[in-house]
Amino acid sequence: MLHVQGLARRYGAEVVFEQVNLRVQPGEFVAIVGDSGVGKSTLLNALAGLDRVDAGQVQLLGQDITAMKEGDQARFRRQHLGFVFQAFHVLPHLSVTQNVALPLMLLGQSDDKRVEAALNELGLHGLGERLPQQLSGGQLQRVAIARALVHRPALILADEPTGNLDPETADRVMTAFGEQIREHGTACVMVTHSRSAASRADRVLRLTRHGLHDAG
Amino acid sequence: MQGEARVLWALLGQFSWQELRHHALRHGTAMLAVLLGVALAFSVHLINESALSEFSAAVRSVNGQADLSLRAASGGLSEGVYAQVARDPRVKLASPVIEVQTLARDAQGKRHPLKLLGMDAMVSGPLSPQLLPQLAKGVDRFDIFAPDSVFLNARAQRLFNVKPGETLQVQTGLAFKKLRVVGSVAGGNEALGLMDIGSAQATLGTLGQITRVDVQLTAGAQAAQVLAELKLPAGVVADTASDATQRVSNVSRAYRVNLTVLALVALFTGGFLVFSILSLSVAKRQQQLALLGVLGLSSRERLTLVLAESGLMGVVGSVLGLGLGTALAAMALRLLSGDLGGGYFPGITPSLHWSPWAALLYGLLGVLAAMLGGWVPARTAQRLAPAQALKGLGDATGQGGWPWLGPLMMLLGLGLAQLPAVNGVPLWAYLSVAALLMGGIISVPTVVGAVLQRLPEPRQPAALLALERARRMRHTATVAMAGVVASLSLSVALTVMVGSFRGSVTQWLDTILPADLYARATSGGGNSSEALHFDPALLTRLSQLPGVTRLHGLRITSLSLNPQLSEVALISRPLKQPEKNLPLVGALVPAQAGLVGIYVSEAMVDLHGARVGQALALPLRPGQPPVRALVRGVWRDYARQQGAILIDEDDYRRLTGDTRINDVALWLAPGSRTDQVEAAIRQVASQQGLAGELIEFAEPRQIRETTLRIFDRSFAVTYWLQAVAIGIGLFGTAASFSAQVLARRKEFGLLSHLGFTRAQILSTVGAEGLALSSVGALLGLGLGLAVSVVLVKVVNPQSFHWTMDLLLPWGRLGLLCGGVILAGTLTALLAGRHAAGRDAVMAVKEDW
Repeated sequence: MLHVQGLARRYGAEVVFEQVNLRVQPGEFVAIVGDSGVGKSTLLNALAGLDRVDAGQVQLLGQDITAMKEGDQARFRRQHLGFVFQAFHVLPHLSVTQNVALPLMLLGQSDDKRVEAALNELGLHGLGERLPQQLSGGQLQRVAIARALVHRPALILADEPTGNLDPETADRVMTAFGEQIREHGTACVMVTHSRSAASRADRVLRLTRHGLHDAG
Repeated sequence: MQGEARVLWALLGQFSWQELRHHALRHGTAMLAVLLGVALAFSVHLINESALSEFSAAVRSVNGQADLSLRAASGGLSEGVYAQVARDPRVKLASPVIEVQTLARDAQGKRHPLKLLGMDAMVSGPLSPQLLPQLAKGVDRFDIFAPDSVFLNARAQRLFNVKPGETLQVQTGLAFKKLRVVGSVAGGNEALGLMDIGSAQATLGTLGQITRVDVQLTAGAQAAQVLAELKLPAGVVADTASDATQRVSNVSRAYRVNLTVLALVALFTGGFLVFSILSLSVAKRQQQLALLGVLGLSSRERLTLVLAESGLMGVVGSVLGLGLGTALAAMALRLLSGDLGGGYFPGITPSLHWSPWAALLYGLLGVLAAMLGGWVPARTAQRLAPAQALKGLGDATGQGGWPWLGPLMMLLGLGLAQLPAVNGVPLWAYLSVAALLMGGIISVPTVVGAVLQRLPEPRQPAALLALERARRMRHTATVAMAGVVASLSLSVALTVMVGSFRGSVTQWLDTILPADLYARATSGGGNSSEALHFDPALLTRLSQLPGVTRLHGLRITSLSLNPQLSEVALISRPLKQPEKNLPLVGALVPAQAGLVGIYVSEAMVDLHGARVGQALALPLRPGQPPVRALVRGVWRDYARQQGAILIDEDDYRRLTGDTRINDVALWLAPGSRTDQVEAAIRQVASQQGLAGELIEFAEPRQIRETTLRIFDRSFAVTYWLQAVAIGIGLFGTAASFSAQVLARRKEFGLLSHLGFTRAQILSTVGAEGLALSSVGALLGLGLGLAVSVVLVKVVNPQSFHWTMDLLLPWGRLGLLCGGVILAGTLTALLAGRHAAGRDAVMAVKEDW
């Protein structure tokens, strides 16, 4: 489903990473670990077409995302990708329901039942009219996960999803996250420093300057 | 306390200074606005104070050291009054004076104003040493009393380019009389000629009449007691030099205050720019301020820090503004002679009177304006929740705290507008305007909420994001839209006021100019009607000219009803159908037997309490009891601010015996050519031995065009003011949008991740700009209309004692609002153009 070949990113003469190769099957959960500054978030942005690459290809569902124009990349992203971030990034002026419904709205679909179901599945029942300021960190991340899944994307890119949470909350959020992606059959690439979070993945890879390697 | 001050200084020196240094242009603009506001307000104050002070000196120079001056309430004073006064043992010195404003010709034949004084040199010397005639070398000393001799002050000698030994042609009526310049005189700030009093009477044809008697009393004599015991004839009034200065001060006060308020509007915009710039600055430094909060800087200290930043901007702007204001005032006094367009200080060239107390006051006003501008951003810094701000979560509840404050201030403004003027100054009305503006700006979040709450939830993501943000983050809307609301309401108010005034003046001109042609014995200004007039015999000849179907004359004299107030104009003309021929305000009351019917201007009602149906005592003839007159109606007069009384020509002539005419209105036969009629009138005048070329003609169309041209020129500054106000408002909006876009970079980054295209993000920002600009324009329009009602219905009548109809130029107002909405949307788009860039994508990264 996702096929990355010979991906490289440099800043001037300095190589961030090169020769990154990766294959992800539908429904597969892959965790990427690595030292700080090695370019894990950059790699996720490159996979989503949000950052330029200096060499290589990213093929998702048979389409080369690196060869697309910016507008086409945006449209492709809204249909086939979902994102979960370390700092949640929910819009402060939208209610929980509006935040979760946003990807559907972008696709021109309006499905209140699906939004409600997504909230219920993540334990957010009854919180739909609240504003983000009125939620805890764990609740905010579950809102972000609901938003990432609600439009049933083929791939979720998660950037350190438990980085801002305490271990207990992180554990609960990762459980919910794992259950949801498996339930929906969504593939996931997650970068993380957390061994606990990585342990929930089907495969764990380590990113270095010279590519992705099995982390054992 | 000392420790806190040390911390504050340290933070100002490091934390604030870095911000100022990195954005020197932005902060410089705010300081420049404060600087200009202080400079304008201070220079207007300096110019007015200098002109008033100089005017007072000029009055003293001409009136000398007299304790009081006696003059007729109307027309001239009989010489008998002088004899009566001079005989009283308590009168040390009495000096009879003739004072007439006329015109004289220079070597090129061009006419200039000349004040002609007639005095008795034998008694006037000790009273008015500056008006002692100085004979030129080689001139016989008895020439002082020669009937054709005149002494000119230096200004007159320069203006007419004449020297002792040469002649000067002085206009009296429609003729010129040649006078020999026999010497000079020191006094007087305007062009002044001094003659022996007998010679002046002969030259002007006023034998037996004088203008006033200047009186110096013996030590210990009380002026009031002497006046009471002198039993002077009715119609003789007494005033002092300080009365004259006070009158000019009173007359010009409203004009001076209006100019100062206009200058203070500039200061208000300066404070507003400080508000916009500091709001942007606080938004950018939100995380730094939050970090300082986490490190131990209390909320009160954050408030003090931002207030100190605004105060420092105010201090620098004010100090530089005081310097610039002084330079502007010095330049204006040299170029404009202290007259800022009101015409209240004619013929004087004041020197600069600099006052350290005034400088301190205006400097403090500048600092206060800047600190008021800094208050809201300072409160934002104070209310910052450090933990939330560090996480990038703003306060989306949008509650401003006191939602009733704005409507309450607007109600207060409406209440203040009902209060009367204070010493002729519409102080409460100005405060009402300020309260309305402030209340309106404070009400922005409430109005935004009220308007947007009614809109259905959009199904388009860009529209949803724009609407929800505008709804839920209404306090940021205040910052963004306050500029548009303030500037648009000022522009709407000025547009409505100027449009109403112009429309009312046009209607007034149509009513007061019914004839086809107007002739005037030249306009000399001041009390020139006594020297420049038509002879009644000439009028009879003119009425018989071919092409003239009818004519009527207009006699304009002055009347002193109250020594504390300026003289009012007394206008006599045929008044057969006043309800048709006068621009009446309100209804007429029927004539009453035994009372002379008169019609007073609105200023008479305000200043002299002359109400419709009331009987007034008019001192029309010195020595005769006052005439009882009935105020039959009130008319609108845009020409005379100090009041005017219209009386029927027959009544006037019967009561005063004065048959002279200043203006003539002529109705022409159909097909008559005005140029031929004008030539015929001049020829008739010349045949009677008069200088026909001195007659000035004007058609109503020309008078209307000239009046409206002067009007437009006078009010041109308001269009500039509007442009500047809207420019500053949009600058504030741009600064606010930039601040919000900066604060929302992560939000835009997220939207990119979710699949928003660049165009969609831009359209979101543009839609927000459109929504807020539209609400801002709606509020600005409503607020502007409210302010314009206060300006038209309260400020103008209280300042200038005339009313006007409220006329709403909807087309122009629509253009203004449309322009502001368009500019606001474009401003938002410009501010947001970086929001959709790749930088925003990176803003969501936490691990780099």
